[in-house]
Amino acid sequence: MDAFWTSRVMSDILGGLTNGVIYALVALSLVLIWRSTRILNFAQGAMAMLAAYVGFAVLAPSTNYWVSMAVAIVAGVVLGGLTERTVVRTLYGKPEINPVVAMVGFLLVLESVAAAIWSTTSRSLPTPFSIIDWQLAGRPVAMSPFALYEVITAIVVMVVVAVVFQFTSLGLQLRAAALNPEVSRLLGVRVTRMLTLGWMLASGVGAVTAVLVASNYFTGLTPTTMDGVFAFGFIAAAVGGLDSPVGALVAGVLLGVAFQFVGDYVNSNAIILVALGLLIVSLMVRPSGLFTRRTERRV
Amino acid sequence: MATRISAIAVALVAAVAAVAVGVPTAGLRLVLALIAALGVAAVAALTSARVRREHPVVARTLITVIVVAVALIGTARLNSNVDTDLSLGAAMTIVLLGLSFLTGSSGQISLGNGAFMGVGAFTVAIWANHHHSSPLILVLVLAVVAGAAVGFLLGLPATRLRGPYLAGMTLAFAVAFGAILNVFGSWTGGDSGLQLPNAENAPHWLTHLYPAGTASLSVNSVWLASLTVVAAGVALFFMANLFASRFGRSLRLVRDNDVAAELVGISLPRARVTAFVISAAYAALGGGLWTIVNNAVTPSTYGFALSVTILSLVVIGGIGTIPGAIIGGLIYAFSNSAIGWITAHTGLSPQGNVASQLNGIIFGALLVLTIVFAPLGISGAIRRLWARRSW
Amino acid sequence: MVRTRRITIGGAAVALVLGMVMTSGGLAQGSPPKVPGVTAKQVTIGATVPLTGIAAQGYSEVAKAANAVFTWVNQHGGVNGRRIRYILKDDCYGTPGFGCTGNPNTVALTKQLIALPVFATVGSLGTPTQDSVRALLKANHVPQLFVNSGSKDWNNPKVYPGLFGWQTSYTVESKILGEYMLAHFSGQKVCFLGQHDDFGADGLLGLQDVGVNPIDSVMYDVAGLVTGGAGYFTPFIAKFQAEGCKVVYLDTIPGATDAALGNALALGYHPQWVISSVGADAVTVDAAFAGKPFPDPEIGAISFSYLPASLDTNVWNGWMREILLNDKADFPNFTATSPIDGNMAYGIGWGVAFVEALRAAGRNFTRASFLHTLITTSFQTPALVPLRYTATNHQGLMGGYIIQVRSASSTGVLNKTVFVTTSAAKSPVTVTTKLSTGIPAWLIK
Repeated sequence: MDAFWTSRVMSDILGGLTNGVIYALVALSLVLIWRSTRILNFAQGAMAMLAAYVGFAVLAPSTNYWVSMAVAIVAGVVLGGLTERTVVRTLYGKPEINPVVAMVGFLLVLESVAAAIWSTTSRSLPTPFSIIDWQLAGRPVAMSPFALYEVITAIVVMVVVAVVFQFTSLGLQLRAAALNPEVSRLLGVRVTRMLTLGWMLASGVGAVTAVLVASNYFTGLTPTTMDGVFAFGFIAAAVGGLDSPVGALVAGVLLGVAFQFVGDYVNSNAIILVALGLLIVSLMVRPSGLFTRRTERRV
Repeated sequence: MATRISAIAVALVAAVAAVAVGVPTAGLRLVLALIAALGVAAVAALTSARVRREHPVVARTLITVIVVAVALIGTARLNSNVDTDLSLGAAMTIVLLGLSFLTGSSGQISLGNGAFMGVGAFTVAIWANHHHSSPLILVLVLAVVAGAAVGFLLGLPATRLRGPYLAGMTLAFAVAFGAILNVFGSWTGGDSGLQLPNAENAPHWLTHLYPAGTASLSVNSVWLASLTVVAAGVALFFMANLFASRFGRSLRLVRDNDVAAELVGISLPRARVTAFVISAAYAALGGGLWTIVNNAVTPSTYGFALSVTILSLVVIGGIGTIPGAIIGGLIYAFSNSAIGWITAHTGLSPQGNVASQLNGIIFGALLVLTIVFAPLGISGAIRRLWARRSW
Repeated sequence: MVRTRRITIGGAAVALVLGMVMTSGGLAQGSPPKVPGVTAKQVTIGATVPLTGIAAQGYSEVAKAANAVFTWVNQHGGVNGRRIRYILKDDCYGTPGFGCTGNPNTVALTKQLIALPVFATVGSLGTPTQDSVRALLKANHVPQLFVNSGSKDWNNPKVYPGLFGWQTSYTVESKILGEYMLAHFSGQKVCFLGQHDDFGADGLLGLQDVGVNPIDSVMYDVAGLVTGGAGYFTPFIAKFQAEGCKVVYLDTIPGATDAALGNALALGYHPQWVISSVGADAVTVDAAFAGKPFPDPEIGAISFSYLPASLDTNVWNGWMREILLNDKADFPNFTATSPIDGNMAYGIGWGVAFVEALRAAGRNFTRASFLHTLITTSFQTPALVPLRYTATNHQGLMGGYIIQVRSASSTGVLNKTVFVTTSAAKSPVTVTTKLSTGIPAWLIK
């Protein structure tokens, strides 16, 4: 049994799972925003990064990790709401490239402002759990207390989002506003408020992701911490389907595991090529994602 | 008639006089005078309403000749720093024309045009390192062909994708471009990139137009600026005709109403992939010229940041229009000097955090503000002011 | 009649134009100074360096430290009556993004320096960036001095007579470290992780040249590290662990060193690390591990140095501290207790070398005579071996000593022996007794 847990295949699966939940969270955040406002948030990673800075750089570095995490989440939620009310609101109903361009510009602004305030020097975040892998019979299992904490946190976030959407009246209104704004409005749903709430929720998820990324990686927190993660998270969202939260989560985890196998059995340098190939193939086969129910465009 | 001829003659004399002052040798004065004469002749021909109305292709040729003539005379008169900025900006204009065409005519957006520039840039460098004496025009044509080929491969899935999905796919291409280059590391030189074998590429006839002992740097800078300006002129001419062509019109129909376009028999996939290929080919030409101007190419230049810069420039200049691309190219050429000036005049420490981020803050904010308040960019705003003019 | 007038006007215009074209002379061109960049009172030099962007962390200090030398020298009367004016252009290591605010176009910036004009470029940083301007500088007869990188490209006097390196080449360093590994870790399996360019390739060549043959050698892409973060290294390190490597040699930049050390730590893998000087600076590497609940994993690693920063007793240290404290413009936060890190010592090293060369060149010099002085004189710099260029060797320092990381911020010298060798294949590694620990008299004022 020990040999099983420390085997090469199992190590790849566990290591991939740890990366995969991060991609899944990024993808989930993108999907939440896409479903409610039809905007692909290219600034998602940068907004999350800024929230993490608010949590860990504005407060003194000696502050408790959990307090900083909570502040980061609040900052993320507020930033999401503000962004929707100021920038995003002007983009509804415009040609579909306008939001893409605006969010890329917003990304540039956020990363530059963060670097202007906190410099590009990497900041080491405290880690609440050991990052050293458990050992079985003298060989490492590809899972450390911190990695387990990451996976559990990700699952908690996903469950919370699912509960909010499926079992609360707020969730019902959120779904209704996204599905059919006109009818919802007639039924008394405050659609504009729901759109703002959607952004706040997604941005809060992003803040948790950024804190996990920055405290896990040895490179720490920098203004560009989320760039690479965002690219993989986007690929997960596109492969899974921007309309499908379940698709985003499954695709995120599967991609994480697949990349780990590619890195182990082929070469780490090949991961990004495989990712691009997967994206192109999946978009050619199912242009709107593997998990999205096919809807014909109406004329 | 006679008055017009006299006016032209006076303009010609004035133009040549202005050009000739301070030009060091007779040969160069002669060349510049000929260019000035060409420019004045083009202006003269353009004054005819009949030419403008009935021969649009001729009119576009004349406009191109004027723009190129003014720029060429400028390159010979500016110092080598400005010339280098101008060459990079002129090459960037070509790239912007390509993206502007893609967006303006088919409504698609690409975040990967920086990587397409890289395709052209590396094509030029690789070819020049293996064939030392290839004619310049051949090398540039190869860059265009390579860009078009890669654009076609990536454009195939693009035929089925809409706005954000296509943006995301091209973003992934831009992010992966460095890794793709490394797969061919033995050709592309790994992370170090490639240098061109010969630093001095100004032809002998140009060197002879300058007094003996003129620094090779100055002659070379004039040569590179002229080369890129002429290339940009050619690219501009083709693009202007393309915009006005039947194909350009059918693409605009695809952008505005794809269902209607299909009804009148336009093949959507073919139209979209063609627009994508043209934009990639234009980017590759600009990248190829960058390699010639820089004498070298490194993979890190062609990362995602460059694609974002391209997008910013085209949007701020005015997406989907030719003047917008030219404005974007000018902004690119002189933005570094402008930001340096701002830093110097605001008392910011040049190596401080804020000064070092000004570029990103200004461009990012301009991008958001443009989209929100003036989606047609600077050229759109000028056009609107012009239309509202009271005189 | 109309026709005649047209011809008359046209003819007059053409005649006038031709006349102007043929006769109007150019404005008087100010006769260029005899030696570009040199006036009676001043020598202007310049460099392209990463002040911002991806490589700025640590490396942005190097040229500023050299400028601290020039500032001090200028305050003490200059060199042969001339002040040194040092112009820095920020090229972001040629890489846009990552907070780059300069112009990531090294060629355009170098053209600005040439047009200024500068007497020479001194201490420009980076292999790809400086490779790209070699031909340009040569064509404009501008010397390219003390390029900051360990590439072998700087030693090519036949093609580039004005091009000079400064630090030991990657190959020299790995040969000396390789000899140490043969003597102390013989018979143990060695694995190699290097950067996918001449840094990694030359380093591996040096190891193999002295007979160290890694059972596995991996080259990583900087782009992959930037996109994938530390996780990008996990498969490499896990593979080394599975293969049973007891010694791992790293030809890595500091961020990559962090990723390798951190991954091994997570895997419970504790090999003997041997790290090239490029990615071993104790203070820089430790920054990523500050505040983590485990000791700096670099402690115990073997590395290489040619600079005295870690030798408290070295005669240079007091002077280096004095000039850094003196240069408030470049080092506003440097105090009497701040550590002098490897990047500062590095920049001070070639800063002193340039001043020494300028002194040796005398009051009246040209570019040619300056270069002649450079290849015929031996210079005392903070480096532990003398700096000695020859007509056939422009590489720079040829050796150094073995050090071990002792704590998060300090290193110790393992034996006070300086090893010397060359990049050439099969050239032996020898022990030198000609230690350059002295300080030139002109620095003591």
